[in-house]
Amino acid sequence: MYLLEQLINGICQGSIYALMAIGYAVIYGVVGLVTFTYGEIIMMGSFSAFYYFILFGDNLFFALIAGFITAAVVGIVVHKVCYQRFLDAPRYISLICTIGMSMFLKNFATIVFGSEMKGMPAFFAGKFIEIGTIRVGYMQLLIIGVVIALSLVLTIYLKKTRMGMKLRAVSQDKKAAALVGINVKTTTLIGNCIGCGLGGVAGILLGVYYNSVLPTMGGMAGLKAFSSMVLGGLGSISGAAIGGVLIGVVENLGIALTSSGLRDVFAFLLLVLVLVIRPQGLFGKKGN
Amino acid sequence: MLKVDNLVVNYGYIQALRDVSLEIKENEIITLIGGNGAGKSSTLMAISNLVKKTSGTVTFDGRDISRMDPDKIVSLGIAHVPEGRNIFKKLSVEENLLIGTITNKKISKKEINDRVEEMFVIFPRLKERRKKSGGSLSGGEQQMLAIARGLMLKPRLLMMDEPSLGLAPIIVEEIFELMEDVKKSGMTILLIEQNAMLALNVADRGYVLQNGEIVLTGTGKELLDNPEVKKAYLGI
Repeated sequence: MYLLEQLINGICQGSIYALMAIGYAVIYGVVGLVTFTYGEIIMMGSFSAFYYFILFGDNLFFALIAGFITAAVVGIVVHKVCYQRFLDAPRYISLICTIGMSMFLKNFATIVFGSEMKGMPAFFAGKFIEIGTIRVGYMQLLIIGVVIALSLVLTIYLKKTRMGMKLRAVSQDKKAAALVGINVKTTTLIGNCIGCGLGGVAGILLGVYYNSVLPTMGGMAGLKAFSSMVLGGLGSISGAAIGGVLIGVVENLGIALTSSGLRDVFAFLLLVLVLVIRPQGLFGKKGN
Repeated sequence: MLKVDNLVVNYGYIQALRDVSLEIKENEIITLIGGNGAGKSSTLMAISNLVKKTSGTVTFDGRDISRMDPDKIVSLGIAHVPEGRNIFKKLSVEENLLIGTITNKKISKKEINDRVEEMFVIFPRLKERRKKSGGSLSGGEQQMLAIARGLMLKPRLLMMDEPSLGLAPIIVEEIFELMEDVKKSGMTILLIEQNAMLALNVADRGYVLQNGEIVLTGTGKELLDNPEVKKAYLGI
């Protein structure tokens, strides 16, 4: 029973990772580049919710929207500073610029918000449903529900809308996209904003799940998002989602069997093992 | 309708195009021939503004499009079917066609579907594979898809970069027949081709490029009969 409960904890945490990884995969797709600022985007989303709760009260739904918008706006800044100016330059310049941007945002947050850990309000504290002898918290159900809902909305958006098709086209081949008349610059900007927005929402879920926010929380979060995406196969959105859930489950089962200090060890051990056996990731195609 | 004046394109220290000028009139088929690295693809890329021009101007219907964004140029009615069949490998055949019209918000869904059906009449093989992903098609089918995607725009000028590259002779023939049909429908075509014989046979006029310069120009027939062209490009 204990393990089964840990499995549910893992799925819940994994779905937060999954949402982060989905956002990361969208960004990786349209920008065509790994970003190091993503963890800080997650952190900014989380902090926007923290201040939303203080200013406007404990409404989680609106806080999620505020987090999405805040993270998307930070995404625009990242795009303007790190990508747009270096479109014709070697790609590593943008990459290094995102490292700088990450340091800047982390320190900016430390100065403005303070370096100490801040508490988030607890939603549905102590409320759970019992299935047999297993307890599942309302909060956990809510998190899993939000992640599934957002994934569905994103899938429909990408498959059914004009803009979604443009995003997929730009992800696959920027030159061909320009040749059918797609404005690659604007489409990349929008894709980057959507990816960052999803990261911001994931940051809020992370914050309320652990009841805390911290300016340095982005480092590990960004790394987990990146690992989940690589585990699933670079650039594959469904792969990223499954990679995220898998990392969450392995982490929680791992610490259930050993000690909680080893959480990150299990996550990255899984990543290394999978990459040794399948370098293209679980669902990636060879040669991509 | 399209005029290129004194076009110069540099890739780093390498001069890809030096002083290229050419003119295309309404409803002509113009071909650019020349060896590898002569600057044929660079000329098309410069017209589409996919490479930076060092100097020179491109005008379309008297309008300067030298510095216009590539997507704007497409919306003016210039379709570019690139070399190497830049189709979208993960999109289905049908989506690849639909995306050809994605930037034109004025045309109705029905009109788009009509155009897709029209393409399926021209290329029945694409209809059989409409739900398959672009990447699963054979080389010839991908080329057809790339051309069909260009035609979906109903462009005024269709630029094709090496449509016969790597294709079986029978498919090449089909594509060239198609080109003559397309011309009859009122379109203008700018064609790059390594198969100079085929290209000059369908073309109204041709330009010969060598080391980034235009060295010869004339009607298709004149160039076919030119002893230098015969020796260098026709292998006679």
